[in-house]
Amino acid sequence: MDPSEVEFLAEKEVVKIIPNFSLDKIYLIGGDLGPFNPGMPVEVPVWLALNLKQRQKCRIVQPEWMDVDKLEEIRDLERKEETFTPVPSPYYMELTKLLLNHASDNIPKADEIRTLVKDIWDTRIAKLRLSADSFISQQEAHAKLDNLTLMEINTTRSFLLNSLNCMYKLRSNLQPGSSRGKSQDY
Amino acid sequence: METPSYVPVPPGVGMEDNFFSLDDILLSHERLPSRMECLFPRLGFLEKSSDSRDIQEGTKMEMPLFLAKGLYERKRRVVSVELPKVYKEGWRTVFSADPTVVDLHKMGPYYYGLGSQMLHFDSPENPEIAQAILQCCAEWPPGGAIGSNMLGHFQKLMSVSPCLPLSWMKSNIMTFIGRFRRTMDSSQNAYNEDTSALVERLDYLERALFKAGQSGLNSFQCWERGRASTLTASSLVLNYRKRKITDLQP
Amino acid sequence: MLDALSDDGSNISEADDGQEDVMTPAELIGKLEEAWLNEKFSPELLENKSEMVECVMEQLTHMEANLQRVRKGDVKASVHRMEIDRIRFVLSSYLRSRLQKIEKYFPHVLEKEKSRADGDPSFLSPEEFAFTKEYLTNTETYLKSVALKHMPPNLQTVDMLKAEPCLDSFVFLRVRERQENILVEPETDEQREYVVDLEEGSQHLMRYRTIAPLVSTGAVQLI
Repeated sequence: MDPSEVEFLAEKEVVKIIPNFSLDKIYLIGGDLGPFNPGMPVEVPVWLALNLKQRQKCRIVQPEWMDVDKLEEIRDLERKEETFTPVPSPYYMELTKLLLNHASDNIPKADEIRTLVKDIWDTRIAKLRLSADSFISQQEAHAKLDNLTLMEINTTRSFLLNSLNCMYKLRSNLQPGSSRGKSQDY
Repeated sequence: METPSYVPVPPGVGMEDNFFSLDDILLSHERLPSRMECLFPRLGFLEKSSDSRDIQEGTKMEMPLFLAKGLYERKRRVVSVELPKVYKEGWRTVFSADPTVVDLHKMGPYYYGLGSQMLHFDSPENPEIAQAILQCCAEWPPGGAIGSNMLGHFQKLMSVSPCLPLSWMKSNIMTFIGRFRRTMDSSQNAYNEDTSALVERLDYLERALFKAGQSGLNSFQCWERGRASTLTASSLVLNYRKRKITDLQP
Repeated sequence: MLDALSDDGSNISEADDGQEDVMTPAELIGKLEEAWLNEKFSPELLENKSEMVECVMEQLTHMEANLQRVRKGDVKASVHRMEIDRIRFVLSSYLRSRLQKIEKYFPHVLEKEKSRADGDPSFLSPEEFAFTKEYLTNTETYLKSVALKHMPPNLQTVDMLKAEPCLDSFVFLRVRERQENILVEPETDEQREYVVDLEEGSQHLMRYRTIAPLVSTGAVQLI
């Protein structure tokens, strides 16, 4: 999967905006939005929030977790624990990038947030590699991956899955009777 | 997102090959040391070193894998195939010491693929090879620098009664596992640099994995830097422009 | 939301449950996204969801027809257009990933279609079936004209069936409905098989073969 497709999914997440225009309810296929009144917070999907922001029709309210104190806490916990700790949002990386790139003027301490999220990401990716390595060397058949986000899975997906499949095929040669190990002439 | 116009067919890896895979086609041309067990009349042209019309019984020659596979029969022996030396005892000791130092590309370059294909030629009438490999197995592991969890795993493997292809294939897998971490680390850390030195010693299978790891890393980095959001012309269109109209007309 | 649509009589129903479930358009889009991800990550071609595709198409055309009547520069219309574009993207990506799998495994897909019992639902939509057959004929003609006709008569056939999806591939998945006693087969001779319970909302990495039936019932979502 391409990272931009993961970002596409992240754009469905809901974020609060404060519009500077008024508009009735919009009946979208995927659900209703609005009504919009100047100064009144309203929840919309990120794709719409960014679009309105680009047209200077709203101010984006940063999600609660996008806060220096909270992120510092998460970072410290992530560094302390050996396992993956719960993330504030299943799309924390994508949302940080999207909101900070397009609405950094609405988000105080944007640079600090960016660094913190990157720290969290790096710690988690290092853990992911460690566990991938032990998964391969222990030749496990099942792993529980709670708290991993789609973007994290996605960075190692093709590599990990291809390796596992290669190992499987090398190993299936061990069963001479199995259908896979059958010799075949061409 | 780029949808390539041609998606390469991956190799079959196991004992079966993938008919449409370029890697597997190249693999099928790997040469195997073999011995003719009967007379092959009028096929002397295959044997470049002599001028005789026939291939005599007992001739030793190198034969591509596809030919050896086609001629090999369990019941009526017409050829016998020897294990290439990289799979033999001497090399196996090297692998058991530290699989990561070996230049599999030079020795392969289809180390795993050819290794799997060699199982076609396993036969109980080959006791010398079996014996050599069994001994080799029994001596394993010498307690080399494989890392503690790997060592434990080796010992577990050795507790199974080994017979020729089984123990042999296991060493193949262990080599793979032993080298996995390095393939992963290098593929996931090298960004925007010349990777030729990193892949130089990898076998083709590992190179494919290395590439997969790199594409994961690269596409993420591109996304992070926001390069994914700038529109670029499709490579198809760019290439198309370079052609002249006269090239397109037959 | 239901009210808004009932006037044009587009009741959305799903036949594969055997019962008529009425879905809201929002649920329909949710289903499309599930199907999209499942199709993207499953090694084999999944059952076709042509009914769902048709419903989505209906929604899109209906909405587009409505937008025709709106004057240019309307803010609402631009929001609707953006949503339509997003849905269209998912829909085409879904159909494209099916076509890619068909192109990869066409002999196998056709074989499966042939051996299907009369009452069973087809894996291919009628259009996909036509595409697959044409793809097979074209490939055969191509191979014949380029290479095979120059071969000795006894070597003029190619067995293309070998390319089949590897159901033993590993997949990532998220659990939607709790499942008990899922058997995990051992990877090596020394390991024993064991069972795991899949808790709702948990994520796992395991073989596709083990959980394939759960994908089609919707109990797990590939990610």
